[in-house]
Amino acid sequence: MSRGIASYIAGRFLQSVMVLWVIVTLLFLLFRLAPSNPMASYIDTEFTKEQEQALLARFGLDRPLHEQYVIYLINLLKLDLGDTFHYAGTTVIDVLRADLPNTLYLTLTSLLLAYSVGVLGGIAYAALRGSRIERVGTTFTLMTRAAPQFWVGMLLLTLFAFHWKLLPSSGIGPAVVRYRWDTEWDKLLSPVFWRHMILPTFTLAIYLHGLPLLLMRSNMLEVLDQDFIVMGRLAGYSERRLMIQYAARNAVLPVLTALTLGIGYSIGGNVVIETVFAWPGLGRTLVRAVQSADYPLAQGAFFLIALIIVVMNFIADILYSLLDPRVGASAQAQVS
Amino acid sequence: MQQEAMVRGELRGKEKVQFRQGSALRQLWEANLEVFQRDKLALLGLFIFVFFTLVAVFAPVIAPNDPLTPQKNANGDWIKDAEPFWMAEPGEDEAEGYVNNFLLGTTNIGRDIFSQLVYGSRAALLVGFSAAIAVAVIGTVVGLLAGYYGGRIDTLLMRAADVAFGIPFIPFIIVISAFFDPSIWNVVLAMAALLWRDSSRVIRSQVLVIKEQSFVSAAKVSGASELRIIFVYIAPSILPLSFLYGTLAIAWAILTEASVSFLGFSDPETISWGYMLQDAFNSLALSREAYYWIVPPGLCIMLTVMAGFFIGRGYEEVLFPRLRRM
Amino acid sequence: MSILSIRNLKVDYATQDGTVQAVDGVSLDVAEGQHLGLIGESGCGKTTLLKAIVQVLPRNGRIVGGEIIFKGADLLKMSRAEMRQLRWREIATIPQASMDSLNPVQRVGKQLTKLLRVRGGYDKRSAKRRAVDLFDLVGLDSERLSHYPHEFSGGMKQRAVIAMALALEPSLLIADEPVTALDVIVQHQILEVLRRLEEELNLTVMLITHDISVVAQVCDSVAVMYAGRIVEQAAAEPFFASPAHPYSLGLQQAFPNLARPRDELVSIEGYPPDLREPPTGCRFAERCPFVQDACHSDDPQLQQVGVGRYAACLRSGEMDALRQQAEDPALWQRVEVAQNSPPTLNPSPKMREGLFLPPVEEPASHAPLASSCRKELGDEGEKPLLELRDVSKRFKVGGGLAGLLRGDKEQTVYAVNNISFRLRRGESLGLAGESGCGKSTTGKLLVKLLDASDGEIDFDGQDLMTMDGENLLGFRRRAQLMFQNPFEALNPRFTLYRSLTEPLIIHGWTDDDERLERVVETLDRVNLRPAEVFLDKYPHQLSGGQLQRVVLARALVLQPDFLVADEPVSMLDVSVRAGILNTTRRLASELGLATVYISHDLSLLQYTCDRIAIMYLGEIVEIGPSQQIISNPQHPYTQALIAAVPVPDPTIENPPLRIREGVPRPTEQFIGCPFSQRCPEAMQACLDIRPPQVRDEDGRITLCHLYGEHSASPKLTSDTPIQVG
Repeated sequence: MSRGIASYIAGRFLQSVMVLWVIVTLLFLLFRLAPSNPMASYIDTEFTKEQEQALLARFGLDRPLHEQYVIYLINLLKLDLGDTFHYAGTTVIDVLRADLPNTLYLTLTSLLLAYSVGVLGGIAYAALRGSRIERVGTTFTLMTRAAPQFWVGMLLLTLFAFHWKLLPSSGIGPAVVRYRWDTEWDKLLSPVFWRHMILPTFTLAIYLHGLPLLLMRSNMLEVLDQDFIVMGRLAGYSERRLMIQYAARNAVLPVLTALTLGIGYSIGGNVVIETVFAWPGLGRTLVRAVQSADYPLAQGAFFLIALIIVVMNFIADILYSLLDPRVGASAQAQVS
Repeated sequence: MQQEAMVRGELRGKEKVQFRQGSALRQLWEANLEVFQRDKLALLGLFIFVFFTLVAVFAPVIAPNDPLTPQKNANGDWIKDAEPFWMAEPGEDEAEGYVNNFLLGTTNIGRDIFSQLVYGSRAALLVGFSAAIAVAVIGTVVGLLAGYYGGRIDTLLMRAADVAFGIPFIPFIIVISAFFDPSIWNVVLAMAALLWRDSSRVIRSQVLVIKEQSFVSAAKVSGASELRIIFVYIAPSILPLSFLYGTLAIAWAILTEASVSFLGFSDPETISWGYMLQDAFNSLALSREAYYWIVPPGLCIMLTVMAGFFIGRGYEEVLFPRLRRM
Repeated sequence: MSILSIRNLKVDYATQDGTVQAVDGVSLDVAEGQHLGLIGESGCGKTTLLKAIVQVLPRNGRIVGGEIIFKGADLLKMSRAEMRQLRWREIATIPQASMDSLNPVQRVGKQLTKLLRVRGGYDKRSAKRRAVDLFDLVGLDSERLSHYPHEFSGGMKQRAVIAMALALEPSLLIADEPVTALDVIVQHQILEVLRRLEEELNLTVMLITHDISVVAQVCDSVAVMYAGRIVEQAAAEPFFASPAHPYSLGLQQAFPNLARPRDELVSIEGYPPDLREPPTGCRFAERCPFVQDACHSDDPQLQQVGVGRYAACLRSGEMDALRQQAEDPALWQRVEVAQNSPPTLNPSPKMREGLFLPPVEEPASHAPLASSCRKELGDEGEKPLLELRDVSKRFKVGGGLAGLLRGDKEQTVYAVNNISFRLRRGESLGLAGESGCGKSTTGKLLVKLLDASDGEIDFDGQDLMTMDGENLLGFRRRAQLMFQNPFEALNPRFTLYRSLTEPLIIHGWTDDDERLERVVETLDRVNLRPAEVFLDKYPHQLSGGQLQRVVLARALVLQPDFLVADEPVSMLDVSVRAGILNTTRRLASELGLATVYISHDLSLLQYTCDRIAIMYLGEIVEIGPSQQIISNPQHPYTQALIAAVPVPDPTIENPPLRIREGVPRPTEQFIGCPFSQRCPEAMQACLDIRPPQVRDEDGRITLCHLYGEHSASPKLTSDTPIQVG
């Protein structure tokens, strides 16, 4: 059994590596074959031919495409994403290293909030099925999924930052305060940072809570319909025990998978929220890099986000096979 | 089951029957009709779509002004940041030398917000419907091929879906819009390139189920060709699923287009609701609490997206009756 | 002293189309220590009755009247909490489909100990001990406690559920269809467990089933339910010897009985009444061959008809005479008609004449059947229609690139191994065996839904393997398949006309009128009359029995030479099974169709087939004339299969089996005999020498060392008690 799971994990890992390789290749092609010259914004018209050549050589852009590809792959493996065009002397890795924690703080806090509310809400809605509360509630949840995140952010900003002036409107803290944060711990222990995080976190959580809530609710309803619940009822278990210990425990498994997947996808989707709140994270960096044609940085940020997504998809698969004992055996069951 | 059969099986021997009907198209139409008859919210969703479609078609008639041209007062100056006439203090407009008939006020460079809102429906629906069609078509074809033929084709297509699942959605669309001309069509293309991943997976698994049903084997035993089996037996059964994912794609596409426009990667010549919000955001409308500018475009986005969700839910209830009446 | 006493119980279901009176005035007593069998077809309210007793009715169900007295207290007056306490401690219930009643993501032992601790007040240690004891009691290896449900076979799950039901030592055990959907050997073992427990624990048992032979095996009294009412209640022996209600009579005659084979089975045609508007008179009147005018107006009540015997029939006084008549299947025969059409008149041939109705074809004369029976098996004189030579089918599972990536090890499943047989025109052959024995795969090979991995299949002299294009289309016209599940066998989006006309379109019938004519003619053939009424229907508008007739019609619409019927009636109610079998058998002989029936039910095959082949792990271990196979089985496996079939007669007790339940997975090829692992007669030779094909004077071939040159090989003794898992 455990050997089965081990080889399952190995297989999945291999598959994820292949997926990543294809994505990396697509990324390479996308950035090299883009219609506009990658150096267009960088190369001044005043440059001489020699200066231009020197620059191209510096970024390795003067070699044939396949050579560039091989160099690119080797560099990726060494986690060398090159230099940015615009911050002289900084490497892409440096920029991303500074951004990633901010993105993670924001994403993980919102996800935690959203999934706690979602799971509990889903159980409650399932228990209240058919009631008025449930109908109004699900419609509200659908509304939060339909409203653009940045718009919700704008509304919250207008109300809390500008109208009532309760919370800061952007960034992670004023420069004077940021100056004193030598380590990540200093930042995390600073109340200023957390005050800045409130609005973006809630905006994100409002959007994110819908998925776990609706998923939990429909899973609950499905599980409650299954024969082993009927059996539990026949065995004289109380409805509360059936609801929490039986139904909820089985229904929460797919939600946990969704949470794992959600980490990856929200980091990709945070682009918008980070822009609204000027949150110095991966997403905002990506947007600014694309806007200013800083290709190495844009490529690096994109790669990092894709990497996180692929890794999270992989973890979600593994998690699912560990949580549900049937997955490993599904191949066996196919034979009749 | 039998009880139900008994309930429905009411007929008399003398009853005149019309039995040579039953074209696939007609059945499809009836299945779609059932969605809207059964589900009030789905019907509401349909009304919302119809409403915005009419607005989009008749935008030049409905909109009082050109959405891109700054409105000018008697002196030829731009009428900047005018509040809606029902909010503005009376007499202010006369003092500034114009008549305030702006339902939702003007922008910081004097463009008519209401007219922008009306024209914005065009971008939203265009993106929504074209992405939906692309997603439904690609997802259905991929799902059918992978599910029916299995083997190498299946492996190849599903690994391609895995790759699509690994690509971050909004970043990808941003990059595509930035590299190519900022046009609505590039946004649609980029979305179509990724969004098929969900629908194709679900349709594939559905095809796997239907393929194993004995009525399909019966067709094979009767000598039906593969194409006949795919198109006459399997495809009609999964079309409602394609519709479901199509409607959901409308919703996602409108939301995504709004986000991309908000980030500033849209064609500045095309007014969209997301573009309006970007305009408001960058013009500090938030600090001025210009709700008349911030709220309407977002509401419109939310309404159209919800319409997609509602219709999607209607399909879901017909497709997966287990979820019904929850 | 009755432990459970139900008085005039009424249960309604609110549906969109009105109120269904699912249980309508049921009174029933269960005495302490009694083992009561409650028999009825689907939709008769038997499961609703169970749910009402323990009060777990679905949301739309409501008890509208009556009393349920359990040990002197009315359950209906109890609070929910009191009722909950009572469940499982006093009344334990094994629900239908109990195979799915275990939590899939929790170990079985955990579920059992949790039940003991939460509901029984056991502490951790004693719960564990008790769990081991319980597993022992139902014959499960206690190592299995740490397994997940999906690692259990169907029979093992059923045992585990029984263990759970007994955990708190209830005084009443209610089991709903406990052996349905299990293989016959497993079924036998489970019934034996039940029987043993009844004795050892002095349990009171209420067993709900559609299968009267199950009742005959484990129950000492019987109640028959029909359309929400009890129509007969009696002790088991008198009930089986002399049923006192026409419905019970019909049920009894409808069941094929291995011990007493019949020429023609009784089919109780028609359908139960609509329980939204139950008829004013007797509910069975519509389907009863003994119906009188009074039956349509007077509602018969359950009344005493003998010592401890109750029946609800106006003519119960004449029952002795009616029983004689009921033996004749023609009496019960009726033409399948559209639902809710005026009741067909008593269709005895004599009456038909009087009413100027066209005569119904006489039930099968079986001329070809009898003659082919006598033919020697190896008769080379006639060219067979179908010939299989050393046919094998292997599947690869979990292989390929996808499997490699997913980490599944590739396995080969040997579904069919080296089978050979011949089938003549007009002959019928039965394939029998437990699930997983390869019989359905063989069926698919025969109609080229699958291609064989090895060997040859010749159809009328042509090799199926190399067939393509025009040849293949020609074969497709001549060979047809009838499916197990009629609810899945027709495209739900097609009208019946469309479904039936598809094969004609495929085979180039371009003329609309000709097609219509053929379709109508075929529907008429399968007794769906008037055919026009059915053409415009969708599958969901018909009942299972009608659907299966449509499936048969679709198979016959091209007028094939060869038909494979895969479990043609296993999804249908007993009362309509016989009708389908009779029609199929009659048409096969009328049209000279060669037929292969695939079934787990030997009594059915005995009834329909000239010859029977017994399959085990992909091999045919015995093949020969039906009568010989059934009455004098040679192969130990055949012997076990036949011994396991429950007999609908309480005076005949099934002998205990000497083999373990559960077929091993066919993922390895055997050097010796595939059955040697389970065979009670296994000898040294069975392990490493392939058993010979032994042919006897009846033309029967047996694949077994007992009859070959190694019959003196030393016997492997294993006298360890049989335990599962």
